Amino acid sequence: MNSKLHGLVQTEWRWLIAIYLFLAGAGGGAHITGVVADFMGWTQLANIGIGLGWPCVLIGCLCLIGDLGTARNAWRVARKPDTSWIARGTIIISIFMIVAFIHTVLWVWPGTMAGPEVGARHLVGVIGAFFAFGTMVYTGLLLGDAIPIPFWNTTLLPILFFVSALSTGVMAVVLVGVIAAADQAHLLTLGRVDIVLIVIEALVLAAYLHGSYRVPNTRMAAEHLLKGELAAMFWMGVAVCGLAVPLVIDAVGLHGAGAAAASILGLIGGLCLRYVVLAGGAMYPMAAAGFEFRPIKRSKDPMPAIGKMPPS
Amino acid sequence: MARYGMVIDLKRCYGCYACSMACKVANHTPPNVFWSRVLKGESGTFPNVVRQALPVLCFHCEDPGCVKVCPTKATYANDDGVVVIDKEVCVGCKYCMMGCPYGARYTVPEWKSYFPEGLPLSELEQFQKEAWEEKSGCGVATKCDFCTERREDGKEPSCVTACPADARIFGDLDNPDSEASQRIKRDRGFVLKPEQGTKPKVYYLPPR
Amino acid sequence: MIAAKERNGKEDVWIPTCCGQCYCMCGIRVRRQNGVVTEVEGNPEAPTGRGKICVKGLAGPQLLYDPYRVNYPLKRTNPKKGIGVDPKWERISWDEALDIIIKKLKKCQEVDPRGVYFQATTTQASEIRFGVIGFMKAFGTPNYWVSGGGLHCGNGAHFMNGIMHVSWSIIPDFAHCNLPLNFGCSKGHGAGHVAVQNATQAADARARGSRTITFDPFQSAQAAKAHEWQPIRVGTDGAMALGLVNSLLNEHGIWDDEYIKYKTNGPYLIRPSDGRYMRDKETNKPLVWDLVDGCQKIHSDPSVTRVEYEDEAHDVAIQGRYTVDGVECTPAFELLKEHVKKYTPQYVEEITWVPAASVSRIAKEIGQAAEIGATVTIQTEKGPKKIPKRPIAAHYFRGSQGHVNSGWTCLSIDMVNHIVGAADTWGGAMGLGATVCGGYEGTGKPYQIPYADDDGLLVAKAWVYDHLPYPMRVPKPPTRLDLHDMFPTSIYNAFTITSPRWFEMLDRFKIPYRPDIMINFGSNSVMTMGHAETVTENFLKKFNFIFSFQLYITEFEEAVADIVLPDTCYLERYTPAVSFPSTFSHPQGEDDWGWTIRQPVIEPLYERRDFNVVMLDICKRLGISDKYYKGLNDTIIMRYGGAMDDKYKLCEDGSREHEWPEVTDRLLKDRFGEEHGLDHVSEKAVFTWPKRKEDVYWKWFNPARVPLYFEYFIDSGEQIAKLCDEFDAKEFFDFDWSRFKALADWYPCPSHTEPDPEYDMYTFYWRAVMHCNSLTQQNPWLDECSQEDPYVYAIQMHADTAQKKGIKQGEKVWLENSHGHRVRGWVALTEGIEPRHLAVAAVAGHWGEYMPIAKGKGTFFNDLVEMDKEHTDPLTLNQDICCRVKIYKA
Repeated sequence: MNSKLHGLVQTEWRWLIAIYLFLAGAGGGAHITGVVADFMGWTQLANIGIGLGWPCVLIGCLCLIGDLGTARNAWRVARKPDTSWIARGTIIISIFMIVAFIHTVLWVWPGTMAGPEVGARHLVGVIGAFFAFGTMVYTGLLLGDAIPIPFWNTTLLPILFFVSALSTGVMAVVLVGVIAAADQAHLLTLGRVDIVLIVIEALVLAAYLHGSYRVPNTRMAAEHLLKGELAAMFWMGVAVCGLAVPLVIDAVGLHGAGAAAASILGLIGGLCLRYVVLAGGAMYPMAAAGFEFRPIKRSKDPMPAIGKMPPS
Repeated sequence: MARYGMVIDLKRCYGCYACSMACKVANHTPPNVFWSRVLKGESGTFPNVVRQALPVLCFHCEDPGCVKVCPTKATYANDDGVVVIDKEVCVGCKYCMMGCPYGARYTVPEWKSYFPEGLPLSELEQFQKEAWEEKSGCGVATKCDFCTERREDGKEPSCVTACPADARIFGDLDNPDSEASQRIKRDRGFVLKPEQGTKPKVYYLPPR
Repeated sequence: MIAAKERNGKEDVWIPTCCGQCYCMCGIRVRRQNGVVTEVEGNPEAPTGRGKICVKGLAGPQLLYDPYRVNYPLKRTNPKKGIGVDPKWERISWDEALDIIIKKLKKCQEVDPRGVYFQATTTQASEIRFGVIGFMKAFGTPNYWVSGGGLHCGNGAHFMNGIMHVSWSIIPDFAHCNLPLNFGCSKGHGAGHVAVQNATQAADARARGSRTITFDPFQSAQAAKAHEWQPIRVGTDGAMALGLVNSLLNEHGIWDDEYIKYKTNGPYLIRPSDGRYMRDKETNKPLVWDLVDGCQKIHSDPSVTRVEYEDEAHDVAIQGRYTVDGVECTPAFELLKEHVKKYTPQYVEEITWVPAASVSRIAKEIGQAAEIGATVTIQTEKGPKKIPKRPIAAHYFRGSQGHVNSGWTCLSIDMVNHIVGAADTWGGAMGLGATVCGGYEGTGKPYQIPYADDDGLLVAKAWVYDHLPYPMRVPKPPTRLDLHDMFPTSIYNAFTITSPRWFEMLDRFKIPYRPDIMINFGSNSVMTMGHAETVTENFLKKFNFIFSFQLYITEFEEAVADIVLPDTCYLERYTPAVSFPSTFSHPQGEDDWGWTIRQPVIEPLYERRDFNVVMLDICKRLGISDKYYKGLNDTIIMRYGGAMDDKYKLCEDGSREHEWPEVTDRLLKDRFGEEHGLDHVSEKAVFTWPKRKEDVYWKWFNPARVPLYFEYFIDSGEQIAKLCDEFDAKEFFDFDWSRFKALADWYPCPSHTEPDPEYDMYTFYWRAVMHCNSLTQQNPWLDECSQEDPYVYAIQMHADTAQKKGIKQGEKVWLENSHGHRVRGWVALTEGIEPRHLAVAAVAGHWGEYMPIAKGKGTFFNDLVEMDKEHTDPLTLNQDICCRVKIYKA
């Protein structure tokens, strides 16, 4: 138990939201990877990226709906969007999914309906990529708009999530690419791009945590990740799985199973990153007259055993 | 139109939890939900140490973080400044729980009994379940509404009425002559986390 | 009776009644919606509460509907008894239950009715005054106890406050007191009698700017709200108080001359030979020395007495030596002043761990704050009157009085008030509940004006028991099973009945009968007295048959009850008087008098029946209804301010029967007139009338004096010692009877003298605001609330001490005393406790299978409480409830 965060850390958004944030990011990243590949003329990888992106985001949205609890609630969020980041996000994601879906149906699907009109395809791809970008950044902005949680409320978080999203998007494409036996050279190129992304991500992450550590209100959250309850997941999941190992594999330039493994680990790392950032989201204690106050964290004790009932 | 607010005198409060219970009983909140809650703090090292209680509830902010982030305008301020939730519009995204700096909001996925699972509900719990589902609901955000029903009956919020130490003053902050306004002015009233810019309408008076 | 209102076509009504979650008796209103009791709030009409209500009272509806409540009579089918034994309950009918009970009682009645032992809970104190006391009188048994109630919380306090203030407790006159000193009590901060009202008043005092000093080993609520916290060693409050008295008298030379001379026995002349009063040869009254006439006078001579402050009288001697009938005598005050000299600030620091300089400084503060000589004018019925203003008050309750030095600790603390004249006057220490009452003007009842006996000392007119705190009973050869007739103070003890040699004692004292039947009303004595196994094996299992009126199957019923009768809770019953006896439970202050009643807000659920209704039935079946009614009539005299008029008296000749609501009706009509019966009172559940100011600040309107010198204790001590010798009982209890003496002293507790250094921690328990006794632990709302608090279910331990012992926050530990008894719990680290102490809250740590909400929460402190004579105060028979323990990881 990390007593410093006791009772202050948010417990409402956990795995389902982490998966949502992760898949929205990775899906957007995959789409952008696909569009770029299309421009490069790497048709197979382009199809993989674009075909993979929006379903990932869709699954993520299903997790979000799952988190809302009831189908009734899910219907309502779609029906009454508004000015909040969740609402904006809903619009951005919806447009992205619609555009990417159209793109897929017209040009990616086996036996596609449309012909090879490159200009139109590129245009739709770029529009999709634009909203994919929005989706990826949005996941960071969503958290950042929770002003009471200073660990989230920073400009670095959308950047971090964007870079991670792009990196995991690339990895997702590589993973499917390996399975689909795509062009080795193209895959290796993607791996090299990913090296750059991973390095940037690591730097942004370091800057993010360093920044958090320096400020009293966010230090405990940073400590929570670095040496508290979340340390195992952060170091093993994010740092080793998500960054170090893929970096090494990409740098060595492994093919096939090696590249696939790097991608899988990187994707796990991406998910872990979303989770530790969520689970580290703590408010700072209320203070008055020299006292700090934090609510007692209610233990999730099972209900008392039924015991014995007086005979009736 | 009134602009309702509250003043909590920390000098009077001795942390007895009557407000928490009065709220629970009046609003039929299920386990783990405390619209009105008492936090305890300790400051200093022995023997120069002292403890203090801090009763908290929804602060019905002028510029509420929860309203800002709500995707569906389910939560909004009434004309009288009381921030409320329309449970028919709320989608249960819990974003408002991240947006409120004071932890005033609660969501229960489903209604739960206080007694072990497997027992038939008592008449009281049956009543409470229905009352909760009717007024507040499961899967949506819930919080203090300054006891709307009691105010309709001409009463003060239940935490104010019960407080054995008379530590709470409920009143109209727009009226400069109301006791609440007067006490805030006279006795160095302050709000919590002012840096959040939410402009709470629940003020505290210093403990010493 | 109560008009049902409708809301949206559904019943929605608020019914006034009285709370019963503890003994505070606040007026409440209970909401019933469509037949379901849903909400509680305070009743603004009731002076006890005035619309405020505490966390326990608010949680009442859960008690009414708890699915674990006993709803039908139950019979034990497993003949084996003891802790952890499955009683194998079987539901039976009321008729069968009562048949069994009547058969047993009849047999006992034939053999010796004294074989019946009544056990009750203080939570339902107002019910006790009827069904329990009335039945004991009717059936003819003197045997009674309320387990921990009294032995933990009041044998010392209530007895001593009875002597000094004719009341159950004391409390600062918060409305005017500028310096309340709290000694180990949470009065005004959530606990004690009239808790809600006191809390309001104490908060008003803080807001007004009064300064508070608290002596407590930990940061209790009252320490947290105080301006100064003195972390005192547990059990040493008496030494602290005597240090203050010494410092006042001998260091700063401060005392209230007028008060000492005319309101205490300070001027009484004491002969040196035996420490007794020098008495007038003709009248046998104690003498004082008239400094004007230069001769002795009897204490009540008009020339040397001042009833009212503005009366004039000769100066009398309180210092010096004076020869009377050839004997050189000393005024009692001088003896006291000399006696306390040994309590130097340094000596007090050694005992209490409070710095010597603080002792001296606080005494000076008291002296200054008391404003000796200052007066105020109040409006009395006889016009404006001047009375002393003494705005300081030292008060105390269970924490400081729960030790082997109980009696003297109480008197020592209160002596601080009497030295500076701050007793029952403006701003000083007042009796709680408010006692002095001239009665409702229409009837003159309840009449509760105390008076002076021949020795000039204060005698209560109303009291909670049949015997008064003063004059003390004369010790008699015992007839009771706890031998208590031979002890002049308090009402029962534990060291006899829980002793493994109990029956040997009964033999030695020639008690011809043995325990036979225990009737239990709501108590869970297995948990609320001391080491559970000892209470069960040595005491409870000695009964042949136990039947119990109870709300739940508690640990007591599981261990030893043969029949459980489903009692109604307070929301389902009538109680004729709850805020009275006012001695016990009426708020202090200038607000009105209020006689609160309890009335059902719902018909009893299932087959629950009200205890008092069943007692009427049992007496009828036993054929002792007439005696029972007489018992009730007699009970009323002392407790409710006077005898019933013949018109309203319950029928004593067997010619008619009374229903329980009718008893309520008659008592109300007798007290407040024919038109103010149950019909009238039930509208508000309270009858109010104005309080006279001279009844609030009664000290300088009453001729009685209070003792500073307890001359009569000497006699009592000699009498008990003699009795003990007569029965050759030294081997059972060789108490130090010399503690029955005239001047206060502090005596160490066993925890202070523990020789084994391994037991290095002091531990004590404290009263958490959300719990009263043991029952509230089963209330799920209160349980949840307890979990909201960082300490209620924890063992509080100082962070440094814990670090030294390698114990971490939240870790499970054992506390073990030198008797090998141990309890388990988890540690909460804090800076807010004296580092050598461990604090445990409430009667927690239930293990009963039938109370699953309570089960396993908190620590069962009482298992560390030993009940032998070493842990018993010889003066008051109070239990010691602090221990020395070792702490180790579980």
